[in-house]
Amino acid sequence: MVHVEIKAEELFAIGPLIVTNSMVGVLLASAVLLLAAWWFTRRSAVVPSRGQSVIELPIEFLAGVVRGTGGKRWRQFAPFVLAIFLYVLVANWLSLLPGVGTIGLAGEVEGEKVIVPFVRAGAADLNFTLGLALVSFVAFIAFGLRANGLRGYLKELLIAEPAYMTPLLTPIHLISELSRVISLSMRLFGNVFAGEVLLATMLALTTATVFILPLAFVVPGIFLGLELLFGLVQALVFALLSMTYITLAIAEHRQHGSSDDHSGDAPEQGAAPAHGSA
Amino acid sequence: MDLHTLAAGLAMGLGGIGPGIGLGIGFSKAMEAIGRNPEASGTIFVPYILGLALTEAIGIYALVVSLIILFAS
Repeated sequence: MVHVEIKAEELFAIGPLIVTNSMVGVLLASAVLLLAAWWFTRRSAVVPSRGQSVIELPIEFLAGVVRGTGGKRWRQFAPFVLAIFLYVLVANWLSLLPGVGTIGLAGEVEGEKVIVPFVRAGAADLNFTLGLALVSFVAFIAFGLRANGLRGYLKELLIAEPAYMTPLLTPIHLISELSRVISLSMRLFGNVFAGEVLLATMLALTTATVFILPLAFVVPGIFLGLELLFGLVQALVFALLSMTYITLAIAEHRQHGSSDDHSGDAPEQGAAPAHGSA
Repeated sequence: MDLHTLAAGLAMGLGGIGPGIGLGIGFSKAMEAIGRNPEASGTIFVPYILGLALTEAIGIYALVVSLIILFAS
């Protein structure tokens, strides 16, 4: 049956730094992004060539979404949201390439012969998603601090609206802030990891019955297409949730405070879910 | 084949019920809204994706728990 390893496997160590195969995957994604950025800014033109339009398409799409829902100050955090989106998207789609997770050295885990792949999907390792979620956490705190100042931010965080409710509501508020990190990282990890397991299981199931029905040539392809869609959706979800948290942190003013700031921003209402949502 | 397998299956199966119902309700409402007002589909898209992500997170927690039961204990 399918061998599933929840941790990333260790490839080699440089001094105290252990290089795992998911690190290789993430570094590959970074390399692809850097190369693309270098290649397409080197010869970018106002009237885009065909390759440039392909690169600009996802960026324009997400920039449009951020402009529509990010409120007045969307320019401040649009690069951050776009970077997260492209990073997760490239990391997810790279993991669908043939050879990722399948080519590797033969190893032995608990007496069972397995393959230790050279490259593993970056987001199928909790370290990567947790790191990304922490970056997003730091970002929305920093944006909140910059927009409201230290006093305004702490007041927002620690004091509830009717002051006598503070002891009850403040712990809930703090936990909901922290749980954003956990839910962001767990969501991406769970989806990508489950996708990997799903693909492996489907392949194993259909190859087991290949002598009766030649399904092994069709079914994994369908699920690969599904994973292509899920990779896009998860990248979008991670970026959009980071954006929502940042907009909430920036625009978090009390109703009686400075409500005239955002009086004209109708689309912002749609993108800002209830206060305690994680 | 011990109780771990049963526990993982139950965790995922029972944990999938709630998010499944929730996602169904959310999706049907989004489709209803687009059907009533097709021009609003662009506006509905982002809140819909966010709601989908928040609902689905519960199912993902169940998945993570069952994976931990299966492989990490």
